Amino acid sequence: MAWPHAPRPRRLLRLLPAALAMLASPAPAAAPPSDVAVKAAFLTKFPAYVDWPAAARPRPGAPVQICILGGDPFGRLIDEAARGQQVDGHPLQVRRLSAPGQAAGCHVAFVQGSAPALLQGLQGKPMLTVTDARGGAQAGMIHFVIHQGRVRFNIDEALAAKSGVAISSRLLRIALAVRQRP
Amino acid sequence: MRPITRLADRWPNVPTAAGLMALLLLAIGLAVIFQNEGAYREQKLREASVQADILAASVTAALDFGDAAAAQEAVDALKVNPQINAAGIYTPERTLFAGFERRPGALPRTLGARPDIANDVEAAVPVVRGGERIGAVYLGAVQEPLSRRLTRYGYIGLLVLMATLVALVLGIAHTALRRANRELEERALALSGAYAELQVQVEERTHAEEQLRQAQKMQALGQLTGGIAHDFNNLLTVIQGSADILRRPGIAEAKRIRFAEAIVQTAGRAAALTGQLLAFARRQPLKPEVIDLNAHISGMTDLLDRTLGERVEIRTDLAEGLCAIEADPAQLESAILNIAVNARDAMPEGGALTLHTGEAPPLADGRPAIFVAVSDNGTGIEEEVLGRIFEPFFTTKSVGKGTGLGLSQVYGFAAQTGGDVQVESVVGEGTTVTLILPCSEGGGAPVERPEPGAERKHRTGRILLVDDNEEVGAFAETLLAELGHRVMRARTGAEALEMARTGGFDAVFTDVVMPGMSGIELADALGPVLPGIPVVLTTGYSDEITRAGGAGRPVVFKPYRLETLAGVLDEVLAPRAAQ
Repeated sequence: MAWPHAPRPRRLLRLLPAALAMLASPAPAAAPPSDVAVKAAFLTKFPAYVDWPAAARPRPGAPVQICILGGDPFGRLIDEAARGQQVDGHPLQVRRLSAPGQAAGCHVAFVQGSAPALLQGLQGKPMLTVTDARGGAQAGMIHFVIHQGRVRFNIDEALAAKSGVAISSRLLRIALAVRQRP
Repeated sequence: MRPITRLADRWPNVPTAAGLMALLLLAIGLAVIFQNEGAYREQKLREASVQADILAASVTAALDFGDAAAAQEAVDALKVNPQINAAGIYTPERTLFAGFERRPGALPRTLGARPDIANDVEAAVPVVRGGERIGAVYLGAVQEPLSRRLTRYGYIGLLVLMATLVALVLGIAHTALRRANRELEERALALSGAYAELQVQVEERTHAEEQLRQAQKMQALGQLTGGIAHDFNNLLTVIQGSADILRRPGIAEAKRIRFAEAIVQTAGRAAALTGQLLAFARRQPLKPEVIDLNAHISGMTDLLDRTLGERVEIRTDLAEGLCAIEADPAQLESAILNIAVNARDAMPEGGALTLHTGEAPPLADGRPAIFVAVSDNGTGIEEEVLGRIFEPFFTTKSVGKGTGLGLSQVYGFAAQTGGDVQVESVVGEGTTVTLILPCSEGGGAPVERPEPGAERKHRTGRILLVDDNEEVGAFAETLLAELGHRVMRARTGAEALEMARTGGFDAVFTDVVMPGMSGIELADALGPVLPGIPVVLTTGYSDEITRAGGAGRPVVFKPYRLETLAGVLDEVLAPRAAQ
C-alpha cells in the first residue's frame, strides 16, 4: 500500500502553487503555465468525470473524441495534453471542426467564439459542451472563468441533463458555481 | 541467585506444580498483553487505511484539476478525528499538494520521506482516476496515549499477578498444611507411646505400693504380736503363779483370798487388753456411740504405755465436766493411737506425751465442742511438710517405718464426726495435734453398761449349754452349776438340737463360733423346736456378731465374769419366772 520512499527531497516544490503548476503541465517548467495551457489540460480531464447516454458512449477500443469548434485557441497545447492520456482505457482524440454538423461522434465539444449558432447547433446532442468566458457570454455545460487569477469553471448541470450527459459529483464539488438540475 | 536459594531453603517444599502454574499464568498474561497490543495496532492501521481510502476518493477531482482549496477542504474534514495527527495529499511527483498537521513536522513534505515527528500509524494510498494514478494520500495517526494503554494492560497485569499470587499462596499453604499434618501425626504417635509407657509405670507403681503396704502390714503385725506376747506372758506369769500357790494344801485363808484376787485382777487386765486390741483392729461394730471422752482416754493409757515404749512418759490433763460426744469409740482410739505413734517417732530420744482435754470454742455451725490435744516435745514438723501430713500415703518415715495412712485416718475420723483437726508445730520444740469433736446432740450422759445390780434376785433354771471347746465348756458348766442352774451340755449344734427335743429347758447358752452349725444358726433352728426359749450367745470374737450383732439375742463376750453371766441369765429367765 505504501509507496516506495523517494530518496530525493524536493524542497523547492513545497508551495502549493508550484504543485499546481506541476499538475497543469506535466513537463517540469520554471514559469507558471498559461491559462490556455490550463484550459487545454482541463479539457482532457473532463471525460473522466462525465457519463454519456449508452448510445453515445465510446465503443470499446474507440477513442474519446474532443472536438474544437469555432477556432482553436490551444494549438499544440491540447494535442500534447491529450497525448498519452486515457479515460477508462479509451485514448483521447482531438478533432478540430469547422461546423456543428461535423460534430457527430464528439464526446466533448469546446465551442470558441461568440456565435450562438454554433452552440445551439449542438443543443440536445449527447456531448459535453465546454465554453470559455473569454470567448463570449454564451455558456455551455461547462464554462471556463478566471477567478482570482486562476482558471475555474461553472457547471450547468441542468443543461447537461437535457442532453443526457451526467456530470460526476466529484467534479461538481470543485466547480466555482453549479446550476443544478431542476 | 542467593536470594532465590534462600527462598528455596525457606520453602523447600513448594510444590513444583504451583510454581509451574504461576509461570504459566504469567506467560498467558504477557501473551494476552502482546496479542492485545498487536491487535490494537492492526486495527488502528486498518482504520487509517480506510480513512485514507475515503480521503483519496473525495479528493480525486480536486487533485486532477489542481484545486488546492477543495483538496484542503477535504483534508480539513479529518481534523475532527483527534487521533489523526497529519493528513496530506500528494501529486504524482510526490510533492505535497494539500494537507494539515497537528504539530509541525508531523506531515512529510515529500511522500515517502519520513516526517520529522514520527506517527504511530501511517497509511498511504494512491489516488486513482480512471485506472490512472494521479496522486496519493498520506495519513498519520496517533495511538491511544501510552499511559492509557499501560493502565489498560495494568489491569490485566494486576489480575495475572493476583492469580499468580493465589496459586503460589495455595501451594505454600498446602505445603505448610501437609507439614503440620505430618508433625501432628508424629506427635500423636509419640504421645500414644508416652501414654502407654505411663500406664506401664502406673501399673508398676501400683504393684510396688501394694507390695509395700503388704510388707508394712506384716511388719506392724509382727510388732503387735510381739508386744501382745510380752504383755500376756507377764499377765500369765501372775495368774499361773497365783494358781500354783492356791493349789498348795493347807494354805491360809487370807493368803488364798489375796492370790485369788490377784488372779481376778490380772485376768481383768488381760481382758481389757484384748478389748483394746479389737478396738484398734476396728473389729468393733462401726456404730457411733455417745461416749465420755475423758473415760476413753483414761482407758487408753495402758495401751499407749505399751505402744509407745518405756522412753515415752504419758501425762494426762483432763478437764472436768465435759459434754459427751458422739463418735465411734474404736475410731477415736485409733485416731489417738495414730497421733501418739507419730509423736513417739518424733521423739527418738524419748520425751513426754501429754493428752489434754478441754472445752473448745463453738464450731462454725454454732455447735458446742470439746477438744483433745496430743502434744509431744519432739523434733517438730517443718513448714513445707506441715501442709501435707494429712495426705494419704504421705510419709517422711523411711521405707517400712510408716504407711502414710495414720494421720489421714485422724483427719477422716475428725471430718466424719463433724469436728476438726488442727496441727501446731515448732521445729525443735514439739508438735500439738488437736482433735475438735462436737458435743452430742442429746447432750445426755454417756451410756453406761449396766453393772450387775447387787440387789438383783438370782433366778435358776434348766440351762442347755453348747460349746465345742472342752475346757471352756467344762468351766462354764461349773460356773452355771455354781450359780445354781441345772446344766445339760452339748458339744455341737446338732447334738444340742437333739437334746432340745426332749424339752424341759428354760434357756440355751451357746458359743457362736463352732464347727458345723454356728451358735446363731443353732438359735435360728431352735425357734420351731422350743418356741420362745431365750438363747444367750457367747463369743471371744465373731465377725458375724461384729457386723450384725446378735439379732436381738443377748451376747456375753468372753472373757466374762461370774457376775456378768449371772446378770444376763437372770434377765432372760425373769419373764419365764413371772409366768
